[in-house]
Amino acid sequence: MKSGSSMDSLISKANTAIPKSLRPTGPVPETARKYNHIANKKLRTTLQRQSANTERGKALLRDAELLLPNKAGKMEAEVDMDRTWRISQDEIVNSISVEAARGRKEFTLDGGPYRARYTRNGRHMAVVGQKGHVATFDWQTGNILSELRLREICRDITFLLDHSQYAVAQKKYVFIYDRDGVELHRLKSHIEPTCLEFLPFHWLLATVGNPGYLKYQDISTGQLVAEHRTKLGACVTMTQNQHNAVIHLGHQNGTVTLWTPNLPHPAVRLLAHLGPVSSVSVDQSSGGRYMATAGVDGTVKLWDCRSWKDALRSWNSRGGDATLAWSQRGCLAVASGGAVNVYSPPSIHSPNPGPSPPPLYLTHPQAAKPHASLAFCPFQDILAIGHASGISCILVPGAGEPNIDSSEADPFESSKARREREVKLLLDKIQPDMIALDPEFLGGFAPQSQPAEGDRGAMSFARQPRLHRLHIQEKADKTEDMSEDEAVVDGPADSSNPSKRDRIGQGKRKMRSKDNSLKRYLRKQRKNVIDPRAAAMREALAIRRAQARSGSNDRSKSEAERPSALDRFHYRL
Amino acid sequence: MVKISVLQHATSVHLPVRPGDPTPTHRNLNPLQHPFARARERIRALNAAKMERMFSKPFIAALEGHADAVEVLSRRPNSITDVASASWDGEIILHNAGRRTHVAKIAGAHQGKISGLCWADDHRVLSCGADKNIKMWDVRLGAPLDSSGAGPSQPKPLAVFPGKGTLHSIDHHTTDPLFATSSTIVQIWDETKSAQVMDITFSTSAESVTRVRFSPSEPSVLASIGSDRTFILYDIRTGKAERRIVMQMKNNDLSWSPTFPTSILLASEDHNLYTFDIRRLATPTQIYKAHVSAVTSCDWSPTGTEFVSGGWDRTVRIWQDGHGTHPEVYHTKRMQRVLATTFTADARFVLSGSDDCNVRVWKANASEKLGIVTARERSAIEYRNALKERWKMDAEIGKVQRSRHMPKPVYKAAQLKRTMEEAQRVKEELRRRHTRAGESKPKAERKKVVIAEQS
Repeated sequence: MKSGSSMDSLISKANTAIPKSLRPTGPVPETARKYNHIANKKLRTTLQRQSANTERGKALLRDAELLLPNKAGKMEAEVDMDRTWRISQDEIVNSISVEAARGRKEFTLDGGPYRARYTRNGRHMAVVGQKGHVATFDWQTGNILSELRLREICRDITFLLDHSQYAVAQKKYVFIYDRDGVELHRLKSHIEPTCLEFLPFHWLLATVGNPGYLKYQDISTGQLVAEHRTKLGACVTMTQNQHNAVIHLGHQNGTVTLWTPNLPHPAVRLLAHLGPVSSVSVDQSSGGRYMATAGVDGTVKLWDCRSWKDALRSWNSRGGDATLAWSQRGCLAVASGGAVNVYSPPSIHSPNPGPSPPPLYLTHPQAAKPHASLAFCPFQDILAIGHASGISCILVPGAGEPNIDSSEADPFESSKARREREVKLLLDKIQPDMIALDPEFLGGFAPQSQPAEGDRGAMSFARQPRLHRLHIQEKADKTEDMSEDEAVVDGPADSSNPSKRDRIGQGKRKMRSKDNSLKRYLRKQRKNVIDPRAAAMREALAIRRAQARSGSNDRSKSEAERPSALDRFHYRL
Repeated sequence: MVKISVLQHATSVHLPVRPGDPTPTHRNLNPLQHPFARARERIRALNAAKMERMFSKPFIAALEGHADAVEVLSRRPNSITDVASASWDGEIILHNAGRRTHVAKIAGAHQGKISGLCWADDHRVLSCGADKNIKMWDVRLGAPLDSSGAGPSQPKPLAVFPGKGTLHSIDHHTTDPLFATSSTIVQIWDETKSAQVMDITFSTSAESVTRVRFSPSEPSVLASIGSDRTFILYDIRTGKAERRIVMQMKNNDLSWSPTFPTSILLASEDHNLYTFDIRRLATPTQIYKAHVSAVTSCDWSPTGTEFVSGGWDRTVRIWQDGHGTHPEVYHTKRMQRVLATTFTADARFVLSGSDDCNVRVWKANASEKLGIVTARERSAIEYRNALKERWKMDAEIGKVQRSRHMPKPVYKAAQLKRTMEEAQRVKEELRRRHTRAGESKPKAERKKVVIAEQS
């Protein structure tokens, strides 16, 4: 009774986290593993406790998913013949509440075409016109934070951590302004920038420009972390994969390259289009698995980032170079010609060899060209289209993630929470060299070192790794399945990663050098010596080879019809 | 007809109801909402490991008062703070470690050094020393005053037991009014009798017995170590030495585990500590290697999960039971050879007595915060500990957790020791490779420790 009341006093304080050791624990879950085969009692208990904790964590996760409060928006045809793409914006606005319809907005502005960006929590919006009109504002309340007339060409804008700072790619350099529009920094090393991307967990501002250099600037220390020469000329399209912080660039010659700060060359180079690439976008809803590219040749292609083998599907967009954007829940918006088309998830991800476009989800005519940008608002069903005559915000039901995680991005956070999160983010700042194509490489198993056979024989038993010794003694525990027991300390379970298992045990094969100095010396010695026996042998060999070649040509036709026992190996190669 | 619904966040759910209320928070555990979860957790673990190092300030206080090296420390039964210490100039001081004051001070308790000190009960101390006498003292307040009332003068012992040779160690029986002393033989005394009750020797031994300790759980069992490299178990019911092992090198101290009755800890001259299961004395259960000089003292924590050792290398080390490497290391610039160490009864503090006349108080957990810890702080500490535990295999984090700053001589000595051990290993391996196969098998380190086992 007493402990209950003290527990209540802890719980009643809303911000107090109860220490794990004071939290009530239920009985051990049924699914927890028993580890009866392990003789060591202490180890067994530890493993059992870990397994029970994991199971409890999983159960909590299942409960939490069931209890998520909000439902995503949607647009569904009730009758077979109905098509969702027939619904216009006016019809959507008329059929929903006034409050929800406030997302539909038209900003008519001079000095276009305009580009628009949202903050990570979707509360604030930054727009930039090519003629130098810059504005940041809270789009929900209409509260303008700053408005600047820069009177020079501005090509891109991005918020940094939150709305308190933003970077503008201007004619010559990148400039950083604070929330009131006061110029804080002029980044002189970024020359003629065209695109900006901010990697929030690494505190890196990535820019690329007309000289074709991709530059990473750490905005917490101010250092230029990396500078990569793309060697592919001016670059006008850039996007980031939010799940592994890899930068995707689209180039004039139709290639798309993927960059990380620690590699001086692209991690992946992909010939995506026959003409220049006009837009690249990465799907967040699938954990960065899909990438969409659009080219000036008028095609839109969808790629699987795990294989890069061939486009999953490709289709022609009407009106040439398209602009693309994926939403949080996987809607793909394509702006081209006189319209913005939106394709929705299950059908957009399915591979299709034909040239037909995926079934259309929603379409919106947008006459004012060119479409400079598309941006989905996080946690809202809103798509901002930046075009020649301003910004249009249209409603795309089902585009936004309905459930907010306050620890990551919260549109309703107070200024105190914002400040606190900035500090937390800085404490958790990931080092730039941790960026890799597979973000889960951390905490995995190191590849096993496999000494050459000769070395293994010479190595004494005591010097061998413990696992080898256990295998020799036949004491190694082979029943252990590592994938099941990833202990959960806190936070979400890791998304399953098929590539992880492949990596285990895949050691680096070292090759003995064939070209040691002694061999090289001997070869040099006999370079100019003509040995009659060797010459004769070489001649005989040449004759035999020629015979074999001609013979195979003769036989090739007859053998093609005759099935051979070796044929079954052919296709496996 | 097409059914349309558009996402809309109710502000009432997201904003505080009244001004001053905390803003409501929401969780979405979908992994896609938490990019870089693993990388960020790793950074947090790294920060936790660094914070642990940053806040590790283990030294609390030096308890002064002695004028010569402190060789024995003995904590008072039923007290968390009180510890008696005795020095080479024959002085006994009862410290209150919490207030850092002297509860009692007996100057000139013995002629020459005091080598053994133990508690008979809450207020009586037994001491023995080089002057061949065993003395019993009362340390209650006011007790040591002279009868004439002319201020503090030389206190009088409650009893004096004349011993035969130079006495090395003394220990009191857990329940009975008996105590054991060691010189060249082990003697059992009764508090009420002036002569010894029993003499116990192992038949062939004539060397001095340096430590003698009663088992806390099996009170009639007695363990001793001697300068003839032996460890002997006695039973005072039979009055005989039951078992004896001869080791490679002599031991300097021994301590019975308070929680695991068969486990005993030996601090050896060969820089190592050993735990033995007294049922199987042929091999130690674990070797603890880190000291770079002789280990002079050791003491179990009352929890039985860790123990402290002090060494001739001027360091105090705290070990986890069953984990033979990477102990916590404490040292200061001024601390000399550590001759005595003990845990306090609440297992939170460690005391060390050293050659430089000081008794030092250390935290058992170097980075622990002293003082009140709020629930929120505690949950943060627990989270940090869980992170450290989870990521300890990461190269960078593990390195931060393991690395300790060492005084240069200790560091160099450790380096030299490693080099020598490696050379020895290589030599043995080469020798083995060049003898006939199977002729000489490598001997496990644990099996080298005990030379002979006798009973």
